[in-house]
Amino acid sequence: MTAEAAPGQSFAHSGKFFNVLGLALKNAGLTLITLTMYRFWARTSMRRRLWSRTWVMGDPLEYTGRAGELFRGFLISLPCFFLPAIFVFYIAPVALEAVWAGWLTFGFYVFSVPLVAAARYWMRRYQLSRTRWRGIKLGLAGSAWSFAAASWGWWVLQLLSLGWYTPAARINRARMMWENTRFGDQPFHFETPPGESPQRRMWWPFAFGWIGTAIGFFASYLSAGILAAVLTTSGMIDAAPNSSIVSAGVFLLGTALTVISYFIAFAPYRAAAMNRIAAQIVLDGARFKLRAKTLSLLFYQSLGWIFLIFSLGLLSPVAGFLQVRYVLNRLELIDTPRFAEIGQSVLADSDAGESLGDAFDLDMGVGVI
Amino acid sequence: MQARYADGRAAVFADVEISLTPDKLFIRHGERTIDWDYADLARSDDNNGYVVLRQKRKPDTGERLMFGNWYDDELKAVAPHLMKPLAQGVEGRLTVGALVTLAWSLAGAFLIGIPYAAGPMARAMPEKYRTQIADISWTQVNNFTAQCDDADEATQILNDVAYRIMERSSVPERDEIWITIADAGFPNAFALPDNSIIVTDELIGMAEQPDELVGVLAHEIAHIEHNHIMKNVIRQIGAGIFFDVVFGGAGAGQAIAIASVNLAGLRYSRGDESDADSRGMDYLDAAGISTAGIATMFDRFEAYAEEEGAGDIPTILSSHPASRQRAIAARARAREGLAPSMTEREWRIVQQACGGADTLDQEETPQAAPR
Ligand SMILES: [Zn+2]
Repeated sequence: MTAEAAPGQSFAHSGKFFNVLGLALKNAGLTLITLTMYRFWARTSMRRRLWSRTWVMGDPLEYTGRAGELFRGFLISLPCFFLPAIFVFYIAPVALEAVWAGWLTFGFYVFSVPLVAAARYWMRRYQLSRTRWRGIKLGLAGSAWSFAAASWGWWVLQLLSLGWYTPAARINRARMMWENTRFGDQPFHFETPPGESPQRRMWWPFAFGWIGTAIGFFASYLSAGILAAVLTTSGMIDAAPNSSIVSAGVFLLGTALTVISYFIAFAPYRAAAMNRIAAQIVLDGARFKLRAKTLSLLFYQSLGWIFLIFSLGLLSPVAGFLQVRYVLNRLELIDTPRFAEIGQSVLADSDAGESLGDAFDLDMGVGVI
Repeated sequence: MQARYADGRAAVFADVEISLTPDKLFIRHGERTIDWDYADLARSDDNNGYVVLRQKRKPDTGERLMFGNWYDDELKAVAPHLMKPLAQGVEGRLTVGALVTLAWSLAGAFLIGIPYAAGPMARAMPEKYRTQIADISWTQVNNFTAQCDDADEATQILNDVAYRIMERSSVPERDEIWITIADAGFPNAFALPDNSIIVTDELIGMAEQPDELVGVLAHEIAHIEHNHIMKNVIRQIGAGIFFDVVFGGAGAGQAIAIASVNLAGLRYSRGDESDADSRGMDYLDAAGISTAGIATMFDRFEAYAEEEGAGDIPTILSSHPASRQRAIAARARAREGLAPSMTEREWRIVQQACGGADTLDQEETPQAAPR
């Protein structure tokens, strides 16, 4: 009468689509009638649902976070983030010289890059500290600000290299996150097998994505332009070929097609990056293995985006669920950590909630674990 | 009964024997027996097919008891509260009710408060800020209009007529108000925070008689005299701040909240429009100009709106009391036998400003239009 999963299936997700959809719909309704105030409760109940259906070696994860904590975090973020933001975006343009107001806005955007990174880190710390397995708490040590500073440096390198530094930056961020992640008193490690590049098998998919997007960009605008020319000259659309409505249409269609080609071209890279990161995570000598495949991942992610777009973001947890379930059902643990040796965590609890994560709208209502 | 117990000190579950007696839950773990009070317990399984029990006490020691949901009947018999959603951490009706009340009270306080505060705040607004806001408005205006280099004489004529009207009604701002003719692809007229009034060449082209155009000018002057422009700016800044801060997060929820406030905002600015209509007609009456002109103009707006669709409605009627009603009100006050507000020669010059209006049927849309 034990709940051990079959050997070889160290991870599984037993969430049912309609069960999750039902909760997402209930949450969406309550979020609407509370003018979005319910969002903290919605997020909490959705996490409880998704965590409790995540099985590791036959035992479920447990989410112990409370909506009140998120709400309090939101109240804390009011003076620290929103008051400066109000000043920059609403008061400064009126009260300051235009030049100064412009610089202030620019500075705010520059500062928000590391701030978003720090917010991600705090959010992850909060979520891990509210996650238990077999009663043992997870956690995230380290400093959010050093993550933010490092992250900012990698972001600059990404810009300067026209994106080509992205695979390395992604691995660097994952390394910093996982090296600081704890299960109880046991740290995770991020170890590259000797003689291998940390980004092994990520460069070719990335090159495919980069070049594919570049080609997609030109092809999208070209085909949108040709379509518009055909429709207007043949008289199927009653507008002059150079009128502003037609050029706006060309721009919109071209942009939409570019986004779609970006999404498709980078699908192999997304799968490769997930697999590569999982392969380097180690807990007490035990390694992880993820078997994400380009086409199936693309299918579930597209499905998620369709839900997200057609519900205007209200059903974004469904998109998060599809991805979480996809990953967990393809994740394996090679060897077994000595769980009897792993004791309770000694990290202090994060008590600021996810304040800034909410301000930047980071997590699609599910979580970033 | 079989169950699994984790003591919170190591990441393992041990097989244990439990018994659910009426007053306590007993866990026999090897030599030890642990007893839990049902009242102290909560569940953390969210109905995933198992019952996972923990103690509610703080801090959480990580002790867990887990067994399959096949013992549900036995558990229900001794601890019915553990079968309720509340035991799983689902919030009660009270929380939801409180949130609904809080959200709508905040929104209500805003809907009622900001429009009331807008008047006094507009009056207290320092001159420097007003100039700064005007600069921003001018940047926006320059985005969708062009300057005319052949409109000096027409501009002077319009300003002379307007001054005559304002003098008769002793409008305090009469020395600061300046009317500009702008070249744009759509008919429009609006006032800016620095007491400028912009009239587009297409609006002039829409009018067939000088009184029709002068009626529009009078309406805009009334907006300035009653400080409607700054009030509106303050309402919009207030709305922006309110929504950015309170209603972050979900896109659609935010959209609905914004829509509900815009409806209310519309009601207030509709009040301003009626106010400007009647004050504008007071000017016309005092200056001996018939309100039949502005009545005709309202008819033209309505025809134009029907033809072009709602997106292209000039801002002078964008937050209307319906144009038909406005036309009826203006016609009711119209007097016969008054001289036109400009000479024929003056009117011809005004009509030819900016090279005269293009045809009205072109497919241009205004990009942004301040009210
Ligand atoms: Zn008006």
